[in-house]
Amino acid sequence: MSATAPASANDAPRGYWCLRPAGLTLLVHRRGAWAGLLLTAMILAIATGSLSSGTIPLAETVAALAGIGDPVTLFMLHELRVPRLVAGLLSGAALGVGGCLLQTLARNRLATPGIIGIDDGATAFAVASIVAIPTSLAPPMLALMGAATAAALAFGLGGGGSRGYRFIVVGIAIGALFGAITNFMLARTDIDAANLAYPWTVGSLNARSATTVATLAACLAVCLPIAKMLGRDLQLLRFSDAIAIGLGTRLRRTRIAILIVTVFVTATAVAVAGPVGLVSLAAPEIARHLTGHRGVPVINSALAGAMLMIAADWVGRTAFAPVEIPVGVITAVVGGPYLLWILLREPRPGGG
Amino acid sequence: MTTPHALCVRCPPRGPQPPSGGRAKADMTHNIPMPAQAPAKSSTLQTRELTLGYGERTIVDRLTVQIPEARITAIVGPNGCGKSTLLAGMARILSPRAGTVLLDGRDIAGMPTREVARKLALLPQDATAPDGLTVEELIQFGRQPYRGLMRQWSPQDAAIVRAALRATQLEPLAERPLDSLSGGQRQRAWIAMTVAQDTPLLLLDEPTSALDLGHQIEVLELIRELSRQGKTIIMVIHDLASACRYADHIIAMRDGEIIAEGDPAGVVTEELVEKLYGVRCTLLREPGTGAPLIVNPVSIRHDTD
Repeated sequence: MSATAPASANDAPRGYWCLRPAGLTLLVHRRGAWAGLLLTAMILAIATGSLSSGTIPLAETVAALAGIGDPVTLFMLHELRVPRLVAGLLSGAALGVGGCLLQTLARNRLATPGIIGIDDGATAFAVASIVAIPTSLAPPMLALMGAATAAALAFGLGGGGSRGYRFIVVGIAIGALFGAITNFMLARTDIDAANLAYPWTVGSLNARSATTVATLAACLAVCLPIAKMLGRDLQLLRFSDAIAIGLGTRLRRTRIAILIVTVFVTATAVAVAGPVGLVSLAAPEIARHLTGHRGVPVINSALAGAMLMIAADWVGRTAFAPVEIPVGVITAVVGGPYLLWILLREPRPGGG
Repeated sequence: MTTPHALCVRCPPRGPQPPSGGRAKADMTHNIPMPAQAPAKSSTLQTRELTLGYGERTIVDRLTVQIPEARITAIVGPNGCGKSTLLAGMARILSPRAGTVLLDGRDIAGMPTREVARKLALLPQDATAPDGLTVEELIQFGRQPYRGLMRQWSPQDAAIVRAALRATQLEPLAERPLDSLSGGQRQRAWIAMTVAQDTPLLLLDEPTSALDLGHQIEVLELIRELSRQGKTIIMVIHDLASACRYADHIIAMRDGEIIAEGDPAGVVTEELVEKLYGVRCTLLREPGTGAPLIVNPVSIRHDTD
């Protein structure tokens, strides 16, 4: 452990693996890699449990996934549970990444899409399309427009994101405004339309449309690699502006790129799952907790978000069966106290 | 090859390391041979009719200055005279309203910021790091301008980080979190990060503010060491006495303009102190260094600026 330990000429920084595939030199954070494996294992376990819960034994589930089994089981898995699981995994991952990016951008753990009002913007526009202004545009499109509007307002009025505190306060105000607009529209409309819009306001994974999920999948496929590539500059955003620029970051460009990626992943996730804001707050915390405060855990936040989402959905579906509790309610009930625990037990920075 | 540079990150480690840890290193310059040779690489920095400001206010107005190479330049002046603004402008943190900053004769605003980061390192005032970051991790960030997506780490990076640790005598503290260090140690760690950046130019904004006398001397000795290895250093500094003692070149500013410039012994006079700070004083010569010392200061400033 001492600094005098002999070091070879090409040793990687402490805590990293240095991989050299095909002429590249890549650094892999060891604890981050272990955390990723752990989260993946937990996702697999929860997914298996969720798919086979209740009526279908585990062996039959596995067989049915391979296409063997009686028609009822096959229908239940292929038409109901698997799409739902996929919707949960993807939306959770997207919300996790969005939270991680925005927290880094604003240098504040409070700054997640749910708090800044990006969720609310997406919801308001989507609800408006259902109850107030019928359009032919698909909900993801409208959610995207709403999210982009809210993000642009918060970013523009909040001093370009360089002052995290102001960005958050402005974002909260914008979120409240869009929330009020949503409630106003729901109160003014008739009960059928309000029922139709209800899942948008609490967050649910029940019977999501396949095109919406496909849109989210496509968005994640593009945005996750971009987020990972922004990683180098993201780390520098944790320093003050002068230091980040001094070390060669194109600050404004990086900020805008992060904001755009955040808007896309959040909007498409909200279009699938509704405003499950707590996932974007809790997932990066879990990822940071597991990886030990270093760096910006983009991929682990995605994994943690996916895990949280499918776990919450599983609980909501089975805990009070046959009554189903929306996933947003479960994440609030379970995630809230967990988040409090993480924040309160943390004795010293760097102690994790 | 000549004698290895003590602080040069490209030179191999020297023999037995001096015991490090405490701060009794004020004399470290005396036992290190100082090769008076040109640095491995150098860069020039100058401004031309540079105008800088925040919002409506113009702080620095059409300022033209040339920074002497491989020397320590100290920018001094009263609060609000624009010295930190000038430094921020020269480090491309603040975009000019008009005029240009020329790095190696090229407009800095038109250069890729990563390329600038390989020539010019900046240590801003009140630098803060993310929670829990260790000294070594901080220094590794100094290699950021050299790291790419495909080439994230190299043996050279590792060697330079080790050399920066050694040069700032921070090896025993490498794994300590930055927030557990004393003010002077922390400042040395930040300077080590800029050393790892391996730039010919180093800009420091009040590197000794908020440090006690011992820590001030420790940091200033380190800066002098770096300059002797060929780095061009520009520092904004409050303390005129330290500026005179450590700098080779003084830029005295008031109200965004340069009112005196040159060798400290020649430039710093009783008249200048009065002009800069509104203080009437007597200047003595420090025994040994000949640096001007201010005694019997009396404020004569009645107007507010």
